[in-house]
Amino acid sequence: MWRGWLVTILICPSLLAQKLDATLFESKIRPVLAGKCYGCHSSKLKAPMGGLVLDTKAGLSAGGSGGKVIVAGQPDQSRLLTALRFTDPHLQMPPTGKLPDAVIDDFASWIASGAVDPRTAAPSSETSAALKGMSIEAGRQWWAFQPIREVAPPRIRDTAWSRNKIDPFVLAQLEAKRFTPSSPADKRTLARRAYIDLVGYKPTYQEVEVFAADASPDAWEKLIDRLLASPQYGERWARHWMDVARYGEDNPTSEATNPAYPFAWRYRDWIIEALNQDVPYDRFVKLQLAADQMPGSRREDLRALGYLGAALFHKDQRLSADVINGFLHDDWDERVDAVSRGLLAMTVACARCHDHKFDPIPTKDYYALAGVFASTMRAEQPLFDVDAATEARYLAVQRRLIDLRYSVGLLTGEASTVLDSETRVARWRAEIEQLKAEMLALQERYPKLVASLERYWTMPAPRPPAGAAPQPRRRPELTSTEPFLNAVFDAAQYVETADPHYTFINYKPGEARDLAVLRSGNVAAPGEIVPRQFLTVLSKGDSRFLKGSGRLELADKIFTDDRSLAARVIVNRVWDWHFGRPLAATPSDFGVQGDKPTHPELLDDLATRFVAHGWSLKWLHREIMTSAAYRQSSKPRPDLVKADPTNMLFWRMPPRRMDIESYRDTLLRSSGRLNDAMYGPSEDVEAPTNVRRTIYGRISRSRLSPLLKNYDFPDPLQSSGGRDLTTTSLQQLFVLNSAFIRESATAASQAVASLTADRSRVEELYRRLLSRDPSPKELDMALSFLAGATLEQLAQVLLSTNEVILWP
Amino acid sequence: MAVRPLLKRRDLIQSAFGALGTLGLSAALGSGNAAQAAALGHYAGQRTSGKAKRVISLFLQGGPSQVDLFDPKPLLVKFQGQRPGSVDLRTERQTGGLMPSPFQFAKHGRGGVDVSEMLPKLAGVIDEICVIRSIYSFNPTHTPSVNLYHTGTILPNRPSIGSWVSYGLGSENQNLPSFIALSSGGSATRSGFLPAAHQGTPVNHTEVDPEKMIPNLRNKELDPAAQRKQLDAIQALNKEFGASFGADDYLDGRIQSMEAAYRMQFEAMDVFDIRKESAATRALYGETPFGNGCLLARRLVEKGVRYVNVGSGDWDDHKDIETAYRKKLPAMDQAAAALIADLKQRGMLDDTIVIWGGEFGRTPVSESGTGRDHNPYGFTMWVAGGGFKGGLAYGATDDFGFKAVENRVSIHDFHATVLHALGIEHMQLTYRYAGRDFRLTDVFGNAVKDILA
Repeated sequence: MWRGWLVTILICPSLLAQKLDATLFESKIRPVLAGKCYGCHSSKLKAPMGGLVLDTKAGLSAGGSGGKVIVAGQPDQSRLLTALRFTDPHLQMPPTGKLPDAVIDDFASWIASGAVDPRTAAPSSETSAALKGMSIEAGRQWWAFQPIREVAPPRIRDTAWSRNKIDPFVLAQLEAKRFTPSSPADKRTLARRAYIDLVGYKPTYQEVEVFAADASPDAWEKLIDRLLASPQYGERWARHWMDVARYGEDNPTSEATNPAYPFAWRYRDWIIEALNQDVPYDRFVKLQLAADQMPGSRREDLRALGYLGAALFHKDQRLSADVINGFLHDDWDERVDAVSRGLLAMTVACARCHDHKFDPIPTKDYYALAGVFASTMRAEQPLFDVDAATEARYLAVQRRLIDLRYSVGLLTGEASTVLDSETRVARWRAEIEQLKAEMLALQERYPKLVASLERYWTMPAPRPPAGAAPQPRRRPELTSTEPFLNAVFDAAQYVETADPHYTFINYKPGEARDLAVLRSGNVAAPGEIVPRQFLTVLSKGDSRFLKGSGRLELADKIFTDDRSLAARVIVNRVWDWHFGRPLAATPSDFGVQGDKPTHPELLDDLATRFVAHGWSLKWLHREIMTSAAYRQSSKPRPDLVKADPTNMLFWRMPPRRMDIESYRDTLLRSSGRLNDAMYGPSEDVEAPTNVRRTIYGRISRSRLSPLLKNYDFPDPLQSSGGRDLTTTSLQQLFVLNSAFIRESATAASQAVASLTADRSRVEELYRRLLSRDPSPKELDMALSFLAGATLEQLAQVLLSTNEVILWP
Repeated sequence: MAVRPLLKRRDLIQSAFGALGTLGLSAALGSGNAAQAAALGHYAGQRTSGKAKRVISLFLQGGPSQVDLFDPKPLLVKFQGQRPGSVDLRTERQTGGLMPSPFQFAKHGRGGVDVSEMLPKLAGVIDEICVIRSIYSFNPTHTPSVNLYHTGTILPNRPSIGSWVSYGLGSENQNLPSFIALSSGGSATRSGFLPAAHQGTPVNHTEVDPEKMIPNLRNKELDPAAQRKQLDAIQALNKEFGASFGADDYLDGRIQSMEAAYRMQFEAMDVFDIRKESAATRALYGETPFGNGCLLARRLVEKGVRYVNVGSGDWDDHKDIETAYRKKLPAMDQAAAALIADLKQRGMLDDTIVIWGGEFGRTPVSESGTGRDHNPYGFTMWVAGGGFKGGLAYGATDDFGFKAVENRVSIHDFHATVLHALGIEHMQLTYRYAGRDFRLTDVFGNAVKDILA
């Protein structure tokens, strides 16, 4: 080989240059074109964007409707490069955002060296491969699917900075850029940071001072352990998980067919308890997918099934079988999306209509997974023990009664809706009576079960004749304390097509259903039926699901075949929730379209040790928070703000706005208004009387609280990979003018009113609202403000400051 | 609950009610430069020939009836009560035989466009209106169809067209939201996966007092001078804190957005107050809830709001449609026509798009003998201004007005066309989410250039 090169050099230097440039094209240019450009600029498209084709040599050299895009040897005259550089506001590519500078530099040097394009004939199979996505074999090499492993810490120059194994990984990258980490934050800042982070509100003055006064070498560790052991830890961290689990308590429409989930709050309470008990993460997830099928699970664990049992659905029996079939597929799709993005950071739902365009996920895999949810039915399940056979029958009867009652009501209420309605109604009424008789036989053993069904066999009164006073409509319950929960059980769902004028969904308890692959996602074009199974690219050996719906097998596979990915995903999220920036920037997408981790070895190492420590989230918090990286000051350093504005390398702790939960809870607590009772049914966040922690506020998918919306609460209709924290004037109107802030100010000022001197009132207000003493200058400012304003107004001033909402 | 790092810093401090970019920090201190605020638009694709700048969408929730308003079908009389095979289409409910419109139609304007006798005012401005008689969708129930109408899918969680336009084009006024929804919620205002700053700000326009329309708009305790003093104290402390902490985008941004909020209280009190219009103007619009909404929409777009949705009552007439229409059409007719005339007179019609429509139309066959059921197979929407051709009836339904058959326009086509009129190529307005680049038009849609001037 060496000889060959040598000969080439001797014979034809320019040929060598060409060869090197060809290598450059193949290694640096072509993959980017394929990954970022072919989607819109391919010869295979009917109408490539701007008439520009990049997957052929001819296309690239011809340019698009705006002329040539490359001038060989002249990077600055090549519009391709202008577009990549984002300097011209009207010519920026790719539309999804600027590529890394290194990539753009590659293009520049490739053009400068002559823009050698070694491609020959028609677009190769590589083009269509790029459009079709990765093969399973190639996918198995993808970074996110590689086994995690412990990694030896990298060599670093400053050996004194590190406090645990996280730090060398962070420091090595800082040193590579000749950055230094920020100095440690002072103890009072650390106390604030830790309280917000672990229990979701700022500490009181006393809490800050106790920590500041603790001179013992393990004061920080003790604080972390104490906060992790407090029940408020669960209230804080449950909410993070609820973002991922798209927790909600109703459906986006309030129609009779899509009622609210009155027991969803029990799922929220379960999450809080489970986190407080440090249930290992693998078990925590498995319970949410399959608590009903897991050996050793208890009745109260069924609350975890709210993950699936309170997920949104849409149903309307008046419509044709095709339309309803479409709704059902949408419901199953929602589960596939929540599970795959939430637990695996894979965008499986992209493969509903075609093979995934980027990731190794064939459409068959999508339907194989969707079959699990087509075999899973939501129901209101008893929270008390019932023998298995009775319970199975009860759940099936409950579902059937709901549909029958709705149908009878519909056809008696709107006489003309369906032809020949009397016969149907009579038949349905007979079935209701039959089921009622069957269930009444349980009266003695399970009176609560029977009572729960009464509402379904009690028929609505017929509609009053026109002109009569309208009957008040009974609103369905939003929340209930009856001993039931919103859960799921195994039942295959089918659309009943026998009656062309009226459509039922058939639930077949205990059965599973394999789905047909739908061509282009069209329910009217079913193809091959695929067995339920795990994602091919992640599977080791036989991946078919054979037990019931396959929910338990799915949950198991996630933590056996796929444990490396599952561990990476949660470790990345937890890092994000601590640092305000994840290691891999797209926490719900580890695919080709996502971002690769900035510190891959750290992610691998931390994930490996997390698994070795029994998937303990509390271990993970402690490990992250005891690092030197976490303890850095959040103060800006102008040179580094400029060099690394998004803090990619963690040269400081990023200062952040608090999320709405910690903000509202802090305001309630510091003004002395907080009712810290734990658990129970949700209450309206907007209600003036509601002074409970925000996690106990009702999360409605149809009417999300304006306050929550105003502060970037994520849409509870889909799994959230992270909140976009904005700063808006509407938020400041809340601060300046809302009754909530005013009442907090009133409460705080009343609490200090008994002090006689203005000076001590100011000091006490500072201690309560900002957990510190005022500086002499601040004291002066406050006293002169008080000369023309009330104590309450001063309290509102303090509550409105940046300092209050900052997570330092 | 972390900041999504994919977002640029400038997104984080961008606001719904008063936008501040990185540039905005300095801008907000001084001029309130509209050009800078407009630079917050994220659309980086090809500019189309469209020159429109803003949209007012009149949404008649429930589904107005095409065969009674804009799509006359004389054959309904001939075949009254009959049910030929071609109308045996499944809708939401059971329907009967064909039911002719009780209203007469006549041709109006230069283009001779058919308009129902119930819409005399709209007939008077028909030369500004492009009637599309061949809209179609595919779902016969309200919620999914409303979702489709606003977001391009029947799913409940996608961003609405107003959010997309706000995202794409940004705001023209720092002190007002770029997308406002008057008496409409749900999918009409949803920003879905787009940054929350682009959600529609819901405003209850059944009130006329701005204080009652927008929560927390005014301070109940302090007059402007006392509030200014309070704000000065807040900002003084913020500056103290900033000096000890160091220069930080977030802290600066919040200082500026406090100022914007303070100013907005007064600007909004003014802009949202239609009582400041002359009696003649208010009378022109009709002083009905819908009329007030249309008038407020005009005031808002005039001040740089990008997209305004005006929701209108209940158009779900399953029975007694004639009685209902005789009652409610005059107010709608007057307000919609006044809006067009008023925009025209102010020279704003050329770059303002007015959209009129519902989530579907109604069946030419009767329900309950006097009403009409939902009809997604073919229905009418119209567009005025913003570069659309006036005095045109585009497309056609079948002989009975049930299915769109000629020059069919899907909701996705319609969305693509509106974006085109706004200068946006619909395939290039995308947002990366959950592994792919989403668009308003999903994987569908073609801009209908025949209806653009």
